[in-house]
Amino acid sequence: MKVHALRSYTIAYLVFLYAPIILLPLFAFNDSKVIAFPLSGFTTTWFITMWKDQSLWTALKNSLVISISVAVFSTTFGLFASRAATRFEFPAKGAALGLIMLPLVLPEMIVAMSMLVVLLAIGVPLSIFTIILGHVLLCTPFSTAILTSAFQSLDQSLEEAAMDLGETPLSTVWLIVLPLVMPGIISSVLICFTISLDEFIMSYFLGGNEPVLSTYIFGQFRFPARVPAIMALGTILVCLSITLLAIAEYFRRRGIAKSGGKDTGGFL
Amino acid sequence: MSTKDAMIEFRDVHKYYGDYHALRGITATIRPGEFFSLLGPSGCGKTTLLRTIAGFEGISSGAVLVDGRDMSGVPAHKRPTNMVFQSYAIFPHLSVEENVGFGLRKDPRSSADKARAVGEALEMVGLKGYCKRASHALSGGQRQRVALARALILKPKVLLLDEPLSALDKKMREQMQMELIKLQRQVGITFILVTHDQEEALVMSDRIAVMFEGEIAQLADPETLYRRPNSRKVPNFIGTMNFLPAKILQESARAVEVDVAGFGRVNVDAQQVMACASGESATVGFRPETLTVLFDPSAKSERESMATIEEVIYFGDMTYYDVRIDGTGTPVRISMSNVFGRQVLDIGARVRVGWSLGALVLFR
Repeated sequence: MKVHALRSYTIAYLVFLYAPIILLPLFAFNDSKVIAFPLSGFTTTWFITMWKDQSLWTALKNSLVISISVAVFSTTFGLFASRAATRFEFPAKGAALGLIMLPLVLPEMIVAMSMLVVLLAIGVPLSIFTIILGHVLLCTPFSTAILTSAFQSLDQSLEEAAMDLGETPLSTVWLIVLPLVMPGIISSVLICFTISLDEFIMSYFLGGNEPVLSTYIFGQFRFPARVPAIMALGTILVCLSITLLAIAEYFRRRGIAKSGGKDTGGFL
Repeated sequence: MSTKDAMIEFRDVHKYYGDYHALRGITATIRPGEFFSLLGPSGCGKTTLLRTIAGFEGISSGAVLVDGRDMSGVPAHKRPTNMVFQSYAIFPHLSVEENVGFGLRKDPRSSADKARAVGEALEMVGLKGYCKRASHALSGGQRQRVALARALILKPKVLLLDEPLSALDKKMREQMQMELIKLQRQVGITFILVTHDQEEALVMSDRIAVMFEGEIAQLADPETLYRRPNSRKVPNFIGTMNFLPAKILQESARAVEVDVAGFGRVNVDAQQVMACASGESATVGFRPETLTVLFDPSAKSERESMATIEEVIYFGDMTYYDVRIDGTGTPVRISMSNVFGRQVLDIGARVRVGWSLGALVLFR
C-alpha cells in the first residue's frame, strides 16, 4: 500500500516537471496561432517562420560566440583551479576555492546587478564581452567541480612514474595528465556551453542592446503571433541540450572507467 | 669508503616537513649490485628516503650521491634511477607495450629495435606475448611485472622498489619475492626495496637498514641483524626476542660477567655486548629458538634451568611454549619444531630447559 502511494507520488511529480516540455513540440507542430487545446492540425510552418527570422539569426550568432568563448574560458580556469585544488597545498586554499564556487549559491540576480553597477561605474560598455564575463563567473564553478573529480581519480604516482621514465614535468602533462583528464575537459566544455546558451539573467542585465537567444525568446513573447515559432525554436533547443548533456555524461563516465576509478555520481 | 664501492651514498641527510623532522641525519652507503632493504614501521621515513634518491623529495641538508655524483639540483627525469611504485602506476590509457616502452620515447634506436627491447623486457618478467593487452585488464601480479619491465628496460643504475609486494596476496607475494631475487641476480642492478615486512626483508636482502623515527637504527646483513641486534628496538621489530633483567658483576676487555635471574652467573662475550640508550638497565636477550625444551630425560645441554609451562601455542609445524624459568618474574617464549612422534606438552608441566651461552646478547 505504502509502496503504491510512493509510486504514484513519484509519477505525479515527474509528470508535473516534464509535461510542460512535451507541450513544446506539440504546439510547435500545431496548425494554429493560439497556444491552446484542442490541437487543430499538423504543420511545419512555424519552423519555416522561425528560419526566416533575421533577428533570430543575429541572436543565435551572438549566443554561439558567447557560449563557445565561455566554454573555453571557464574550462581553462577550471583546469587551473582544480589542478591546484587536488595537487597543491597553499595558504588560504579553502577560502580561494570557496570564492570560486560561491556563484553557485549566490542569487544570480544579485551578482548580475552588482556586476552591472561596477561595469557602468568603470565605464565598460555593455556588449557581448560583458555577457561573457558574467557567464564565465557562473560556469567556472561547474567546470571546477567536474575537473576536480577528474583530477582526484588521477593517481599522483602516474605523473611521478612518467618523470621517473625521463619525461619533463611539461611533457608529463601532455602525455599523461591531459589524456587522462580529457573526458573531464570535454564534459566541462559541453556543460559550460549548455549553461551559457540558455542563461537569461546575466545576458539580460549585461547585454545592453545585444540580443542573445534567451533574451530574444523572452522578447518575442510580447507578440502572441510569434509564440508558435518560439515553440519551434524551443523544440530544437531541448533536443540540442539533451544531446549535449548526454555526450558530456558519456565522456565523464568513460573517463572514470579509463582511470579505473569508481563512479561517484555526476550530473546525469 | 671510496666512491667506487658506493652506488648510493647518503651524507648526513636531513629532511623537514615544516616542523616535522622526517629524516634525522641519515649516513649510509649502498654497494653496487646489492639487494638492499629499508625496513621499518610506517612513518619511519623509509619511503621518504627512497624518494630522495628518485628525486621526488628534496632534502633539507646533506647530500645524496648516486654512483659518485651529487644529485642535488638534478631533477627526477635526469636521474639514473628507476622506480617501481606501490600502486604500480601503470598508465591506464596505454597498452602493455606502450607502458613498457614509455621510457624509450627519446631513445634514438629504430622502432623495430625498440619493439624488440620491449619484447625482451616482457619476456624477462614472464609476460611474453602480453604486448597488445590493455593495461586495465591486468591482474595485480601482472601489473607488478609490467612496472618492473618498464623500469628495467632503461637499464638504470639503481632500481627503487616502494613496497612493491604489499598489495599482493600471501602466495603471490612469496612467489614474487623469489622472482625478484632471481631477477636481481640476473640483471646485476642495485635494488633498493622499501618494506615494513621483516620477513620479506630477511628473505630478499643482502643488507638491511632498519629505520625508526627518521634514523637508521642498524645497518647489517640479515644474519647479523637477527643474531646480534644492536638495541632492544631492532629485535622487537624483527622476529621475537626474550628479555631478562641482568646485573653486571664484572667486566673485562673480552667478556662481561652478569647475573641473570633464572640463568645464574654467565660470561657474555664482548662481541655479544651491545651499547644501549643511557638510562636503560642491563638486559640479556635471546631468540625463542635458542632455548630447547629437553623432552628426553637423558638429553644434555650446555646449560640447563627448570621451568613451568604457562601457555602453549600450537602452529602445526611449530609449537610456542611460554615458560616461566624458576627464579624469574616474566615468562619467556620457546619455539620448538614439532618433530614427528613428539607430544605437545600441557600447561603446568614442569620441564628442563636447555640453553647456550653463545645465544645471549647483553644490552647495557
